[in-house]
Amino acid sequence: MTLFIQQLINGLALGGIYCLAAIGLTLVFGVLGFPNLAHGALFMVGGYVTYTLLVDVGLPYVVAIVCAALILAVIGVVFERLIFHPLRHAPHTHHMIATVGVMFFLISLVQEIWGTGFLRMESPFDGRMTVAGAQISTQRIIIVITAMVVLIALTLFLKRSVHGQSIEAIEQDRTGAALVGINANVVSMMTFAVSFALVAISAGLVAPIQLLSPGMGESLSLIVFAIIILGGLGSLPGAIIGGFFIAMAEVMASTYISVGAGQAAVFIVLMAVLAIKPTGIFGTVVQR
Amino acid sequence: MTPASSSRMRRSFVLVASGSLVAALAACGGDGGGGSSEGETLVIGYSAGISGGSAEYGLNVQNGLQMAIDELNAEGVEIGGKNYTLKLESLDDQYQPSTTGTNAQRLVQKEGAKIVFVPHAGGIKAAQELNTTRDKFLLGAYSSDPEILASKNELTVMIPPSFTSYIDPFIDKVATKGTGSLGLLTTSSEFGQEWTKAATASWKEAGGKVLDNNNIDYGSVSDFAGPVSKTLAGKPDVILVGGPSQPTALIIEEARKQGYDGAFMIIDQAKFEELEEFTDPKNLNDSVGIAPLTEFDGTEDFITRYKEKFKSDKPVNADIALNYQSLPVFVEAMKSAGTVDDPQAIRDAMPEAVGNVDDKFKVAFAPDRISDSGHFVSDGLKAAYRNDKGKYESFPIDQPKD
Repeated sequence: MTLFIQQLINGLALGGIYCLAAIGLTLVFGVLGFPNLAHGALFMVGGYVTYTLLVDVGLPYVVAIVCAALILAVIGVVFERLIFHPLRHAPHTHHMIATVGVMFFLISLVQEIWGTGFLRMESPFDGRMTVAGAQISTQRIIIVITAMVVLIALTLFLKRSVHGQSIEAIEQDRTGAALVGINANVVSMMTFAVSFALVAISAGLVAPIQLLSPGMGESLSLIVFAIIILGGLGSLPGAIIGGFFIAMAEVMASTYISVGAGQAAVFIVLMAVLAIKPTGIFGTVVQR
Repeated sequence: MTPASSSRMRRSFVLVASGSLVAALAACGGDGGGGSSEGETLVIGYSAGISGGSAEYGLNVQNGLQMAIDELNAEGVEIGGKNYTLKLESLDDQYQPSTTGTNAQRLVQKEGAKIVFVPHAGGIKAAQELNTTRDKFLLGAYSSDPEILASKNELTVMIPPSFTSYIDPFIDKVATKGTGSLGLLTTSSEFGQEWTKAATASWKEAGGKVLDNNNIDYGSVSDFAGPVSKTLAGKPDVILVGGPSQPTALIIEEARKQGYDGAFMIIDQAKFEELEEFTDPKNLNDSVGIAPLTEFDGTEDFITRYKEKFKSDKPVNADIALNYQSLPVFVEAMKSAGTVDDPQAIRDAMPEAVGNVDDKFKVAFAPDRISDSGHFVSDGLKAAYRNDKGKYESFPIDQPKD
C-alpha cells in the first residue's frame, strides 16, 4: 500500500509535467495545424534559462520560473515572426522541417553557452513529507499544485479573456474567425508565447528532480507527442487527461510489471486508444 | 521587381549563404594542424561522443590523451631515427557503434592513423570488426568490459582493468557479505547490463538473493523516484547502481531520501569524485566503488597540472589519468619496434615497451606489463569503500592473470 501511494504521487507529479508540456504542443497544433518538433528542445532551453536565473542571477526559485516563462514567451514571439510567419502560405511540411531546424539550432546553442555536461539545479523545497508511510518530496507536491494552478489559470484565460477566446476561435474555424475580425497574426504570436511559456514552467518544475543536459528534451518530446495524439490533436482537455493517463500508465506498469514495461506502456496505451478511437479521446481537428 | 525575380534572388542568396557556410566549416576543419613544424606528423586517432548528451566522458578521455601528446611533443619524439610530431585527430561518434566504425576507417584511410583510441564498449566491438582486415590498425580500447578480450582480437590493447576484478572484492566489502538481498538499479546500457549479469552471478554464488532487475536508461528517464521506490519495495540490503556519474548521484540521493540506509555497490563507470559534486557527499557513505584518484600516492601533481592546462575545476578522475598514462606506452612501442606504420609490430613490441615509459607519465596503477591477450595489468590497483564517517578506505584489487 505504501508503495502504491508513493507511486501514485510520483505518477501525479510526472503527469503534471507531461500536461504542461503537452498543452503547449497541442495549442500550437490546434491553432497553426502543424506539430512543433522543437518542443522538446524548448523544454530544455526553459530548464537552462531557469537554471541561469536561479543560480547565476540569484533570483528566488518561483521568480526564476516566472521570468523564464516570460523569456521563453518572448522567444516564442520572435520565432513566430522570424520563422513561421514567413512560411504562412507554404505547405505544412515546410513548417515541420523548420521546427526540426529550430530543434538542432537550440541544442547546439545550449551546448555552446552552457556546455555539454550535466547541471544540477537545487530546489529550495528540498524537504520530505510522510503520507501514509510513503516518503514524498516536497518538490513533487509543488509540481502537482503548480500544474493544477497553471491549468486553471490557462482555462480561465482561454474561456474568459478576449485574447484566449480568439485563440479558441481560430482553432475552431480559421476563416470564420477572420470574418469576425480576429487578427490571425496576433493569435499566432500569442499561441507561440503561451506554448513556450508553459513548456518553460514545466522544465523549471522538473529541473530539480532531474539533471539538465542538452539531450533532456529528446525523450520528453516523444512522450508528449504520444499524449497529444492520445488526447486528440489540438484538444486541451485531451492533453490534460492524456498527460495524467500516460504518466500513471508509465509509473504503474513499471512498478507492478517491470521497468521496461513502463516505457512500453506509454505506447501500448496509445495504440489501444487509437484502435478504438482513431482521432484520439477528444479528437476533432482534422489535419489540413 | 517581379515576384519571380525576387524569389530567384532569394534563392541565390540562400545558395551563396550556404556555400560560404560550408566553406567556413571546411576552413575550421582544416586548420587544426598548426603545431611545431619539426619532422613529420604522426596522427593518433580518437573516436567518441564528444558532442551531445554525455560528451563529458568523451572529452575527459580526449583531454587525457591530448595532455600526454603535448608533453611527449614537448620533449621530442624520435622513432627509427626520424623526428615526429604527434597529433590527436578526434571524430565524434555520439557513442553509436556504427559511426565508430566509419570514423575508424576515416581516421585510418584519410588521416593515416595506425593507432585509434575508442572509449566505449560498443564502438570498440565495431572497430574490432575492422582493425585486422585490409587497413590494419591498433585499437586502444578504453572500456572495462571483459568481452573486449574475449574476442581474441590481436590488435586490441585493453587499457583499464576488467570490471570482473571488482565484483568479488565489492561483495566482500559490503556489510552483508553477499548473504542478503541485492537490488539492481544500474543503467540499461549494454555495459550496465553486462555488469548486472556478472554481479548477479557472483552474488548468488556467495549465497545471497537477487531481487528484480530495475535497470533504467539513466539518460532518458524523467523521474528516478518511481524506479527507486520499486527497488526499495523489495527491501534490498545492498543496491547495485551506476552509469554516468551525475545521474547515479541523483539516484543514490533519491534512495537515501526515501529512507534507504543500506549499502551501494557502484559500477566503475561512476566515479566518487564526480558523485560528490552532484549530491550531498553524506549520501554516498556506506558505498563501495573504484577509488578516487586522490587515494593513490603522488596524484596531486597530475591533478594540478591537468586543472591548469585545461583551466578546469571539474574533478580529475581515472578516465583522464588512465588514458594519459597509456598513450606513452603506445609511443614507446613504436620506438621499440622502430616503425610507425606496422600495427602488428607495434603490438608485438608492447611487452618490452611497458617498462620503458618514463615515470613522470605514471599517475595511478600505471601498467607494468601487458598480458598475452593484450590487457594492461598493474599491481597497484585499488578500490575504495566510503565508510559511515565519509572517509575512503581503499583496498587492493587483484587482477586476474588471464
